[in-house]
Amino acid sequence: MELSIASFVQIFVAVLLIIGLMVGNAVVMVYFERKGAGFIQRRPGPYEVGPWGTIQAVCDSMKLLGKQIFVPGNVDWILYFAAPILAFFPVLLLFLPIPFGPYLTGLKVDDGILLILAFAGFGVISNILAGWASNNKFGLLGAARAVSQSIAYEIPMILALLAVVFLSGSLNLSEIVENQGSWPWQWNIFVQPLAFFIYLVSMVGETNRAPFDLPEAESELTAGFHTEYSCMGFALFFLSEYANMLLVSFVCATFFLGGWRGPFLDGFWWTFIKAYVLMLFIVWIRWTFPRVRFDQLLNLNWRWLLPLAIINLWITAVAIKFFD
Amino acid sequence: MDRLNFINPFGVRYQPDMVSGDFYTKNFAKGAAENTIILNLGPQHPSTHGVLRVIVELDGEYVIRAEPVLGYLHRMHDKMGEVKTPWQFLPNMGRVDYLHPIAWNWAHVGAVEMLAGISVPERAEYLRVISCELNRISSHLVWWGAFVMDLGGVTPILYAFEEREKINDILQIVTGSRLTMSYFRFGGVCADADDRFLKLIEQFIPYLRKRLKMYKALVTDNVILRRRLENVGPMGLDICQRYGATGPILRAAGLAKDTRRDIPYGVYSKFAFPIPSGPTDDCYGRYLVRLREIETSLLIIEQAISSLPDGPIVIPKAPKPTFKLPAGESYFAVEGARGQVAVHLVSDGGKTPYRVKLRAPGFSNLSLFAEAARGTLLADAIAILGSLDLVIPEVDR
Amino acid sequence: MPSLDDRIARFKEIGVLAISRHDFSKEGLVLSAVVATYNLLDIAKELFNDGFTLLDVSTLEAAEGFLVTYHFDNMSAPCRIAIRVLAPTDKPTVPSLYPIFQGAEWHERESFDFFGVRFIGNPNLVPLLLPDDFSGPPPLRKSSENVAPLSALGLFGTVETAVPSWENIIAPKTKDA
Repeated sequence: MELSIASFVQIFVAVLLIIGLMVGNAVVMVYFERKGAGFIQRRPGPYEVGPWGTIQAVCDSMKLLGKQIFVPGNVDWILYFAAPILAFFPVLLLFLPIPFGPYLTGLKVDDGILLILAFAGFGVISNILAGWASNNKFGLLGAARAVSQSIAYEIPMILALLAVVFLSGSLNLSEIVENQGSWPWQWNIFVQPLAFFIYLVSMVGETNRAPFDLPEAESELTAGFHTEYSCMGFALFFLSEYANMLLVSFVCATFFLGGWRGPFLDGFWWTFIKAYVLMLFIVWIRWTFPRVRFDQLLNLNWRWLLPLAIINLWITAVAIKFFD
Repeated sequence: MDRLNFINPFGVRYQPDMVSGDFYTKNFAKGAAENTIILNLGPQHPSTHGVLRVIVELDGEYVIRAEPVLGYLHRMHDKMGEVKTPWQFLPNMGRVDYLHPIAWNWAHVGAVEMLAGISVPERAEYLRVISCELNRISSHLVWWGAFVMDLGGVTPILYAFEEREKINDILQIVTGSRLTMSYFRFGGVCADADDRFLKLIEQFIPYLRKRLKMYKALVTDNVILRRRLENVGPMGLDICQRYGATGPILRAAGLAKDTRRDIPYGVYSKFAFPIPSGPTDDCYGRYLVRLREIETSLLIIEQAISSLPDGPIVIPKAPKPTFKLPAGESYFAVEGARGQVAVHLVSDGGKTPYRVKLRAPGFSNLSLFAEAARGTLLADAIAILGSLDLVIPEVDR
Repeated sequence: MPSLDDRIARFKEIGVLAISRHDFSKEGLVLSAVVATYNLLDIAKELFNDGFTLLDVSTLEAAEGFLVTYHFDNMSAPCRIAIRVLAPTDKPTVPSLYPIFQGAEWHERESFDFFGVRFIGNPNLVPLLLPDDFSGPPPLRKSSENVAPLSALGLFGTVETAVPSWENIIAPKTKDA
């Protein structure tokens, strides 16, 4: 790739837009999550602030901004403050290679998915640092859980994506989208249903959302690795959690659901619709299921998802070799 | 190095002065093994339902030892019983166990009536049964919601509170309050049931039966829930005997022991109802027993409503607030939502009782937690704690 | 499930100071026995083998000393039995039931909190309900003008075994002291 001034400007603008997307996404998702929870739990949800409570999320973020920064005693200052920043900023890079629309890509790189998977690993480092630095036993246990869970679920996730990469013959996300058709039966989900299912489970596990929210299991570890964080420290973790959710939804939409290609009219709106439907799916299962136990979580991964993903990958490879 | 307190990377054996924390943590740390974490769950912890504190020693995620620390909600009801007349002490009973106050009402009133030889009119006995069983249902519903919340399912508690709201609406007609009910009087009850009360109950029974079916489909049969509960925290008859566990824990262990049936008080002997005793003694068995007890209570209420006699609700010569208990002792036990609730009353014939001892079922039930939680995962220990159905004000009294 | 007469005979064999029948509908007890401290564990063992469980430990202070009452109930058939032990006020020590009924640990700690009765053999006799730094006399101790003699409390029902004298209950002969 040619690194010209134009491409720097492009990346700069893209990063700015991605920050806007992340913050806007968090505000929108807080509202939808609370309304969704209210709907599932037969209560109105936020309705007091603004029409139908739409301003509620803004008020929440203002509250978080205005809170006193409270640092408990005996924390490791550098790591304590580095952790939320480390959680937030790598996510910016992760959105760069995502093709939101035919021409709407921050950085068209040939190995886009590698970039995403590589930088996604930073999230778990921030979790460890947060748990370790806050000198809290709940934090430490949460961090330990985050590590084993994140490592475990990354593997079937990568193997599931790899099957699609085999099909498309490219690591470039834009090419993967272009290889799929506009109509749903031309999407990869119909070629790779098992990979889609594995990815769907792993993506919930990877973003630490219920029923796989073990690192911050409220009834066991109060809040896990971010127990000791308040105000903006907590807000950054919160932002990055929603940004990660959005990222895995975008990747899922790109790899399995045809990305920006859709019936009637291709365009970025299809990416967003698909991603947000997946987000609402994650919200839905969070408020519906109880939490799994930690050994069950790992057993599900190592005993089922991983072998299935390997078998799926092998079948895909053999099929490509013989029928292509 | 404060971090030595919990990381302990060099395999150093715990010394009491190495452990930061209060008296109880240090006392607990004396027996700690090498390379373990000592963790305080509570008194402010989302799954200890109030202010219970449990100190656990963890090896990774496994609980090696656990010790509950009580007393954060201790109010010395025993002493209050000694300095107040039985009349003045009666409102305290609503405060001992806020989820099933009517059972405590009954235990205290029953102990006084037993000692003073007061009989109760039949209509009052029926109203006692109806209110106690309705209250038991609401207690079990709150437990159900809170227990599933311990397991990470946050939605059921809001459904449970919808039903509890209806029960509170019904009970407040006769008791006048929604939480700390003080409905019973020596020799009867304080308010008669009107038509609205009976009509609301008649509407409520089929409604709750329908909802219970939905709960079974939505929650009880959920595969994640079953996997979290099955074979977790088995409590057999042996551990129940050694620790004096009663109520749903004992019944889940397979023994259909229920004070309502064994030592019938009130008019329970007139009703036909099954005592659910669980198929398994694990957390899931206790879960099923409590849900089936809701159905049992509905059966009893149905029978009581259909055969509710007319008559006075309190005896004509009801004790005045200044009445004196005769010398002697009485021990009156009723079946609360959590097990056998009992009041032991000793009187020397003075204005106030000589000694009042409240037997809280949660106290005995919680004492077996340390043994049941040994060697389980932290998440299982939380599930076991939830399956004991703790109400901390009752445990601490 | 042996009959009540058999049980009384069995208790007498082990050794009780006094044993009395009670009217269940008036006192909520079937049987009560006053036991010397050195017989307490034997009686508890006997009850455990018969399938009894410990309901609670209810202590009260009388002029003669602390009367520690253990309430037992049978697991299978309802049969509430009270076993009483008298501990002298100046040196209240009672053997712990912990080796037989582990649940007794907390009940005994509660009595230790409220009355200062020491239970020998309890593995963890530290404050349970009161704070660890609680100072002052145990809260349920009575002032001397309020203490009633045991005979005024009417605790002993229809005494089955003739008690040689109240002295026996008041000052039990202790082997271990």
